[in-house]
Amino acid sequence: MQRYDYLKMIAPDAGDALAVCTGWGAREWWAVRPSDGNLKTRTLGLVSSIAAGLAIALPHRKVLALDGDGAFLMNLCGLPTIAMQNPGNLIHLLFDNEVYEASGGTATASRNTDAVTLAKGAGYKHALWARSPEECRAEFTHAWKQSELTLIAVKVEPGQPKDLPPLYLDEIENKYRFMRYLEATEHKGILKPGFDSKL
Amino acid sequence: MDDQEAKASAAAIVSGLKKAGINFVATLPDEKMLEVIRAVEKDAELKHVPLCREEEGVGICAGAYLAGKKTAIIMQNAGFLNSCNALTTTSLQLQIPILMLIYYAGDIGDRGFTTLGAVTEPVLQAMGFRHYVLRKREDIDETLRGAQILADDSKKPVAVLLTKSVLGVK
Repeated sequence: MQRYDYLKMIAPDAGDALAVCTGWGAREWWAVRPSDGNLKTRTLGLVSSIAAGLAIALPHRKVLALDGDGAFLMNLCGLPTIAMQNPGNLIHLLFDNEVYEASGGTATASRNTDAVTLAKGAGYKHALWARSPEECRAEFTHAWKQSELTLIAVKVEPGQPKDLPPLYLDEIENKYRFMRYLEATEHKGILKPGFDSKL
Repeated sequence: MDDQEAKASAAAIVSGLKKAGINFVATLPDEKMLEVIRAVEKDAELKHVPLCREEEGVGICAGAYLAGKKTAIIMQNAGFLNSCNALTTTSLQLQIPILMLIYYAGDIGDRGFTTLGAVTEPVLQAMGFRHYVLRKREDIDETLRGAQILADDSKKPVAVLLTKSVLGVK
Protein backbone atom coordinates (compact mmCIF):
# COMPACT_ATOMS: atom_id res chain seq x y z
CA MET A 1 0.00 0.00 0.00
CA GLN A 2 1.18 3.48 -0.84
CA ARG A 3 0.16 6.85 0.58
CA TYR A 4 -2.11 7.37 -2.41
CA ASP A 5 -4.19 4.30 -1.51
CA TYR A 6 -4.90 5.84 1.88
CA LEU A 7 -5.53 9.37 0.58
CA LYS A 8 -8.03 8.00 -1.93
CA MET A 9 -9.89 6.30 0.89
CA ILE A 10 -10.04 9.38 3.14
CA ALA A 11 -10.86 12.01 0.49
CA PRO A 12 -14.61 11.25 0.17
CA ASP A 13 -15.02 11.90 3.90
CA ALA A 14 -12.94 15.06 4.01
CA GLY A 15 -15.86 17.40 3.29
CA ASP A 16 -14.86 21.04 3.37
CA ALA A 17 -11.89 20.43 5.68
CA LEU A 18 -8.84 22.60 5.14
CA ALA A 19 -5.89 20.43 4.19
CA VAL A 20 -2.27 21.37 4.67
CA CYS A 21 0.05 19.21 2.56
CA THR A 22 3.74 18.83 1.91
CA GLY A 23 6.11 17.00 -0.41
CA TRP A 24 4.90 14.43 -2.91
CA GLY A 25 1.73 13.92 -0.91
CA ALA A 26 0.45 17.33 -2.05
CA ARG A 27 0.08 16.29 -5.67
CA GLU A 28 -1.68 13.09 -4.66
CA TRP A 29 -4.08 14.92 -2.34
CA TRP A 30 -4.98 17.45 -5.05
CA ALA A 31 -5.68 14.54 -7.38
CA VAL A 32 -8.12 12.90 -4.96
CA ARG A 33 -9.57 16.07 -3.37
CA PRO A 34 -9.11 19.06 -5.68
CA SER A 35 -10.03 22.18 -3.71
CA ASP A 36 -8.95 25.72 -2.94
CA GLY A 37 -9.06 24.54 0.66
CA ASN A 38 -5.75 22.74 0.03
CA LEU A 39 -2.48 24.44 0.88
CA LYS A 40 0.95 23.23 -0.09
CA THR A 41 3.74 24.16 2.27
CA ARG A 42 7.48 24.32 1.69
CA THR A 43 9.28 24.20 5.01
CA LEU A 44 10.18 20.64 5.98
CA GLY A 45 8.42 19.96 9.27
CA LEU A 46 6.01 22.86 9.43
CA VAL A 47 2.97 21.18 7.90
CA SER A 48 1.64 20.25 11.35
CA SER A 49 2.39 23.68 12.85
CA ILE A 50 0.73 25.56 9.98
CA ALA A 51 -2.30 23.27 10.23
CA ALA A 52 -2.37 23.84 14.00
CA GLY A 53 -2.32 27.61 13.50
CA LEU A 54 -5.32 27.32 11.19
CA ALA A 55 -7.11 25.00 13.60
CA ILE A 56 -6.54 27.30 16.58
CA ALA A 57 -7.70 30.34 14.60
CA LEU A 58 -10.81 28.58 13.23
CA PRO A 59 -11.97 26.24 16.01
CA HIS A 60 -15.25 25.38 14.27
CA ARG A 61 -13.54 24.24 11.05
CA LYS A 62 -11.96 20.84 10.41
CA VAL A 63 -8.27 21.00 9.53
CA LEU A 64 -6.12 18.14 8.23
CA ALA A 65 -2.34 18.00 8.47
CA LEU A 66 -1.00 15.56 5.85
CA ASP A 67 2.40 14.87 7.35
CA GLY A 68 5.32 12.68 6.34
CA ASP A 69 7.87 10.96 8.55
CA GLY A 70 10.74 13.23 7.53
CA ALA A 71 8.71 16.32 8.33
CA PHE A 72 7.23 14.78 11.49
CA LEU A 73 10.67 13.94 12.88
CA MET A 74 12.07 17.36 12.04
CA ASN A 75 9.32 19.12 13.99
CA LEU A 76 9.04 16.91 17.08
CA CYS A 77 9.15 20.00 19.27
CA GLY A 78 5.94 21.14 17.58
CA LEU A 79 4.03 18.18 19.04
CA PRO A 80 3.92 19.33 22.69
CA THR A 81 2.87 22.80 21.52
CA ILE A 82 -0.02 21.34 19.52
CA ALA A 83 -0.97 18.98 22.35
CA MET A 84 -1.02 21.90 24.82
CA GLN A 85 -3.41 23.81 22.57
CA ASN A 86 -5.33 20.58 21.96
CA PRO A 87 -7.35 21.74 18.92
CA GLY A 88 -10.20 19.23 18.65
CA ASN A 89 -10.75 20.18 15.02
CA LEU A 90 -7.27 19.05 13.92
CA ILE A 91 -6.71 15.59 12.47
CA HIS A 92 -3.01 14.88 12.09
CA LEU A 93 -2.37 12.21 9.47
CA LEU A 94 1.10 10.75 9.24
CA PHE A 95 2.16 8.76 6.18
CA ASP A 96 5.32 7.00 7.27
CA ASN A 97 7.27 5.53 4.33
CA GLU A 98 10.57 5.55 6.26
CA VAL A 99 12.36 7.62 3.61
CA TYR A 100 12.91 11.23 2.61
CA GLU A 101 10.95 10.60 -0.56
CA ALA A 102 10.95 14.09 -2.02
CA SER A 103 14.70 14.38 -1.37
CA GLY A 104 15.80 11.24 -3.19
CA GLY A 105 14.73 8.37 -0.94
CA THR A 106 17.36 8.04 1.75
CA ALA A 107 16.20 6.53 5.03
CA THR A 108 14.69 8.53 7.87
CA ALA A 109 15.01 7.38 11.49
CA SER A 110 11.35 6.37 11.56
CA ARG A 111 12.00 2.62 11.08
CA ASN A 112 13.52 2.75 14.53
CA THR A 113 11.05 5.19 16.07
CA ASP A 114 7.39 4.89 17.03
CA ALA A 115 5.54 8.04 15.97
CA VAL A 116 2.41 7.14 17.93
CA THR A 117 4.41 6.76 21.14
CA LEU A 118 6.11 10.09 20.43
CA ALA A 119 2.77 11.82 19.93
CA LYS A 120 1.31 10.29 23.10
CA GLY A 121 4.41 11.26 25.02
CA ALA A 122 4.01 14.80 23.74
CA GLY A 123 0.50 14.92 25.14
CA TYR A 124 -1.78 13.83 22.28
CA LYS A 125 -4.64 12.01 23.99
CA HIS A 126 -5.50 10.15 20.81
CA ALA A 127 -2.76 8.67 18.64
CA LEU A 128 -2.87 5.32 16.87
CA TRP A 129 -1.51 3.22 14.04
CA ALA A 130 -4.01 2.25 11.33
CA ARG A 131 -3.10 -0.99 9.52
CA SER A 132 -5.19 -0.71 6.36
CA PRO A 133 -6.96 1.96 4.30
CA GLU A 134 -10.29 0.73 5.67
CA GLU A 135 -9.10 1.03 9.26
CA CYS A 136 -7.65 4.44 8.49
CA ARG A 137 -10.96 5.60 7.08
CA ALA A 138 -12.84 4.32 10.13
CA GLU A 139 -10.44 6.09 12.50
CA PHE A 140 -10.63 9.24 10.39
CA THR A 141 -14.42 9.43 10.52
CA HIS A 142 -14.30 8.61 14.25
CA ALA A 143 -11.83 11.44 14.94
CA TRP A 144 -13.98 13.76 12.81
CA LYS A 145 -17.14 12.93 14.79
CA GLN A 146 -15.46 12.99 18.20
CA SER A 147 -13.84 16.36 17.51
CA GLU A 148 -10.70 15.48 19.43
CA LEU A 149 -7.11 16.07 18.42
CA THR A 150 -5.96 12.80 16.88
CA LEU A 151 -2.83 11.48 15.21
CA ILE A 152 -3.56 8.71 12.73
CA ALA A 153 -0.32 7.15 11.56
CA VAL A 154 0.09 4.59 8.79
CA LYS A 155 3.10 2.73 7.43
CA VAL A 156 3.22 2.97 3.64
CA GLU A 157 5.48 1.88 0.82
CA PRO A 158 7.34 4.72 -0.90
CA GLY A 159 6.22 5.76 -4.36
CA GLN A 160 3.20 7.19 -6.09
CA PRO A 161 1.08 6.45 -9.18
CA LYS A 162 2.66 7.47 -12.48
CA ASP A 163 -0.50 8.95 -13.99
CA LEU A 164 -1.21 11.70 -11.45
CA PRO A 165 -2.30 15.01 -12.92
CA PRO A 166 0.44 17.65 -12.63
CA LEU A 167 -0.05 20.32 -9.99
CA TYR A 168 -0.05 23.50 -12.06
CA LEU A 169 -0.28 25.88 -9.17
CA ASP A 170 1.98 28.77 -8.35
CA GLU A 171 2.48 28.80 -4.59
CA ILE A 172 1.48 32.45 -4.18
CA GLU A 173 -1.61 31.74 -6.25
CA ASN A 174 -2.27 28.77 -3.94
CA LYS A 175 -2.02 31.04 -0.91
CA TYR A 176 -4.40 33.67 -2.32
CA ARG A 177 -6.91 31.11 -3.55
CA PHE A 178 -6.79 29.44 -0.14
CA MET A 179 -7.42 32.77 1.61
CA ARG A 180 -10.22 33.76 -0.77
CA TYR A 181 -11.77 30.33 -0.28
CA LEU A 182 -11.68 30.89 3.47
CA GLU A 183 -13.25 34.33 3.05
CA ALA A 184 -16.05 32.84 0.97
CA THR A 185 -16.71 29.85 3.20
CA GLU A 186 -16.22 31.63 6.54
CA HIS A 187 -18.15 34.72 5.35
CA LYS A 188 -15.57 37.19 6.55
CA GLY A 189 -12.97 39.53 5.11
CA ILE A 190 -9.41 38.35 5.66
CA LEU A 191 -7.35 40.25 3.08
CA LYS A 192 -8.24 43.82 3.89
CA PRO A 193 -6.85 46.27 1.36
CA GLY A 194 -5.20 48.97 3.43
CA PHE A 195 -3.85 52.13 1.84
CA ASP A 196 -5.20 51.49 -1.66
CA SER A 197 -8.80 51.23 -0.49
CA LYS A 198 -8.72 54.90 0.49
CA LEU A 199 -7.65 56.10 -2.96
CA MET B 1 15.41 44.01 38.61
CA ASP B 2 12.73 46.58 39.33
CA ASP B 3 9.48 44.69 38.92
CA GLN B 4 7.36 47.81 38.75
CA GLU B 5 9.35 49.18 35.82
CA ALA B 6 9.26 45.84 34.02
CA LYS B 7 5.51 45.54 34.61
CA ALA B 8 4.86 49.06 33.36
CA SER B 9 6.88 48.31 30.22
CA ALA B 10 5.09 45.01 29.72
CA ALA B 11 1.70 46.72 30.02
CA ALA B 12 2.79 49.35 27.49
CA ILE B 13 4.02 46.70 25.03
CA VAL B 14 0.82 44.64 25.28
CA SER B 15 -1.25 47.79 24.87
CA GLY B 16 0.88 48.75 21.86
CA LEU B 17 0.42 45.32 20.29
CA LYS B 18 -3.36 45.59 20.66
CA LYS B 19 -3.43 49.12 19.24
CA ALA B 20 -1.49 47.72 16.28
CA GLY B 21 -4.28 45.18 15.78
CA ILE B 22 -2.37 42.12 16.97
CA ASN B 23 -4.63 39.41 18.38
CA PHE B 24 -2.51 36.23 18.16
CA VAL B 25 0.87 35.93 19.90
CA ALA B 26 3.33 33.02 19.99
CA THR B 27 6.09 33.26 22.58
CA LEU B 28 9.26 31.66 23.84
CA PRO B 29 10.74 33.47 26.83
CA ASP B 30 13.92 35.26 27.58
CA GLU B 31 14.22 36.20 31.25
CA LYS B 32 14.22 39.87 30.24
CA MET B 33 10.77 39.49 28.65
CA LEU B 34 9.19 37.59 31.50
CA GLU B 35 6.71 40.34 32.39
CA VAL B 36 5.78 40.86 28.74
CA ILE B 37 4.94 37.19 28.34
CA ARG B 38 3.00 37.17 31.61
CA ALA B 39 1.02 40.18 30.40
CA VAL B 40 0.30 38.46 27.06
CA GLU B 41 -0.87 35.35 28.89
CA LYS B 42 -3.19 37.37 31.14
CA ASP B 43 -4.77 39.42 28.36
CA ALA B 44 -8.14 38.02 27.31
CA GLU B 45 -8.03 39.74 23.90
CA LEU B 46 -4.80 38.01 22.85
CA LYS B 47 -4.61 34.36 21.90
CA HIS B 48 -1.36 33.16 23.43
CA VAL B 49 0.52 30.14 22.09
CA PRO B 50 3.59 29.21 24.15
CA LEU B 51 6.22 27.46 22.00
CA CYS B 52 8.85 24.77 22.41
CA ARG B 53 11.02 26.08 19.56
CA GLU B 54 10.63 29.35 17.71
CA GLU B 55 10.55 27.88 14.20
CA GLU B 56 7.28 26.05 14.85
CA GLY B 57 5.87 29.40 16.02
CA VAL B 58 6.50 30.86 12.59
CA GLY B 59 4.40 27.99 11.18
CA ILE B 60 1.61 28.41 13.72
CA CYS B 61 1.48 32.16 13.09
CA ALA B 62 1.44 31.55 9.31
CA GLY B 63 -1.60 29.28 9.66
CA ALA B 64 -3.34 31.79 11.92
CA TYR B 65 -2.61 34.63 9.48
CA LEU B 66 -4.18 32.72 6.59
CA ALA B 67 -7.30 32.41 8.75
CA GLY B 68 -7.43 36.15 9.41
CA LYS B 69 -5.43 36.66 12.62
CA LYS B 70 -2.90 39.45 13.11
CA THR B 71 0.11 37.65 14.45
CA ALA B 72 3.22 38.40 16.44
CA ILE B 73 6.02 36.23 17.78
CA ILE B 74 7.97 37.18 20.89
CA MET B 75 11.39 35.55 21.22
CA GLN B 76 15.05 36.12 21.89
CA ASN B 77 17.50 36.74 19.04
CA ALA B 78 18.75 33.14 19.46
CA GLY B 79 15.17 32.14 18.63
CA PHE B 80 15.20 34.38 15.60
CA LEU B 81 18.26 32.49 14.36
CA ASN B 82 16.42 29.21 15.08
CA SER B 83 13.58 30.44 12.86
CA CYS B 84 15.51 31.54 9.81
CA ASN B 85 14.51 28.61 7.58
CA ALA B 86 10.80 28.96 8.35
CA LEU B 87 11.00 32.72 7.93
CA THR B 88 12.58 32.16 4.51
CA THR B 89 10.69 29.17 3.09
CA THR B 90 7.30 29.93 4.66
CA SER B 91 7.03 33.65 5.53
CA LEU B 92 9.03 35.09 2.65
CA GLN B 93 8.26 32.44 0.07
CA LEU B 94 4.49 32.51 0.63
CA GLN B 95 4.47 36.25 1.44
CA ILE B 96 3.08 35.97 4.94
CA PRO B 97 3.55 38.88 7.35
CA ILE B 98 4.56 38.42 10.98
CA LEU B 99 5.54 40.99 13.57
CA MET B 100 8.64 39.77 15.41
CA LEU B 101 9.41 41.18 18.83
CA ILE B 102 12.96 40.06 19.44
CA TYR B 103 14.88 40.54 22.67
CA TYR B 104 18.23 42.00 21.68
CA ALA B 105 20.60 39.85 23.75
CA GLY B 106 24.17 41.07 23.39
CA ASP B 107 23.05 44.62 22.67
CA ILE B 108 25.28 47.42 23.95
CA GLY B 109 25.58 47.00 27.71
CA ASP B 110 24.06 43.51 27.76
CA ARG B 111 26.41 40.87 29.09
CA GLY B 112 26.77 37.25 28.09
CA PHE B 113 25.63 37.01 24.49
CA THR B 114 27.93 39.36 22.63
CA THR B 115 28.32 36.96 19.69
CA LEU B 116 24.56 36.72 19.30
CA GLY B 117 24.31 40.49 19.55
CA ALA B 118 26.93 40.93 16.87
CA VAL B 119 25.18 38.79 14.26
CA THR B 120 21.57 39.84 14.91
CA GLU B 121 21.25 42.95 12.79
CA PRO B 122 23.46 41.66 9.95
CA VAL B 123 21.28 38.52 9.69
CA LEU B 124 18.06 40.56 9.75
CA GLN B 125 19.51 42.70 7.00
CA ALA B 126 20.71 39.72 4.96
CA MET B 127 17.21 38.27 5.08
CA GLY B 128 15.73 41.54 3.89
CA PHE B 129 13.71 42.19 7.04
CA ARG B 130 13.06 45.79 8.02
CA HIS B 131 14.00 46.17 11.67
CA TYR B 132 13.76 48.81 14.35
CA VAL B 133 15.51 48.99 17.71
CA LEU B 134 13.12 50.05 20.46
CA ARG B 135 14.79 51.77 23.42
CA LYS B 136 12.22 54.16 24.91
CA ARG B 137 8.83 53.42 26.38
CA GLU B 138 7.29 56.48 24.73
CA ASP B 139 8.16 55.05 21.28
CA ILE B 140 6.36 51.72 21.80
CA ASP B 141 2.96 52.57 20.29
CA GLU B 142 4.28 54.28 17.20
CA THR B 143 6.94 51.66 16.49
CA LEU B 144 4.69 48.64 16.96
CA ARG B 145 1.87 50.20 14.94
CA GLY B 146 4.28 51.25 12.21
CA ALA B 147 5.99 47.89 12.08
CA GLN B 148 2.67 46.06 11.88
CA ILE B 149 1.48 48.28 9.00
CA LEU B 150 4.79 47.65 7.25
CA ALA B 151 4.49 43.88 7.74
CA ASP B 152 0.89 43.83 6.52
CA ASP B 153 1.48 46.00 3.46
CA SER B 154 4.76 44.36 2.42
CA LYS B 155 3.49 40.88 3.42
CA LYS B 156 6.84 40.18 5.03
CA PRO B 157 8.20 39.68 8.52
CA VAL B 158 9.21 42.90 10.28
CA ALA B 159 11.38 42.92 13.41
CA VAL B 160 11.29 45.17 16.44
CA LEU B 161 14.30 44.62 18.67
CA LEU B 162 13.49 45.06 22.34
CA THR B 163 16.28 46.36 24.56
CA LYS B 164 16.71 46.31 28.32
CA SER B 165 15.84 49.99 28.56
CA VAL B 166 12.45 49.68 26.85
CA LEU B 167 11.68 46.54 28.85
CA GLY B 168 12.46 48.35 32.13
CA VAL B 169 14.93 45.67 33.20
CA LYS B 170 18.56 45.80 34.32
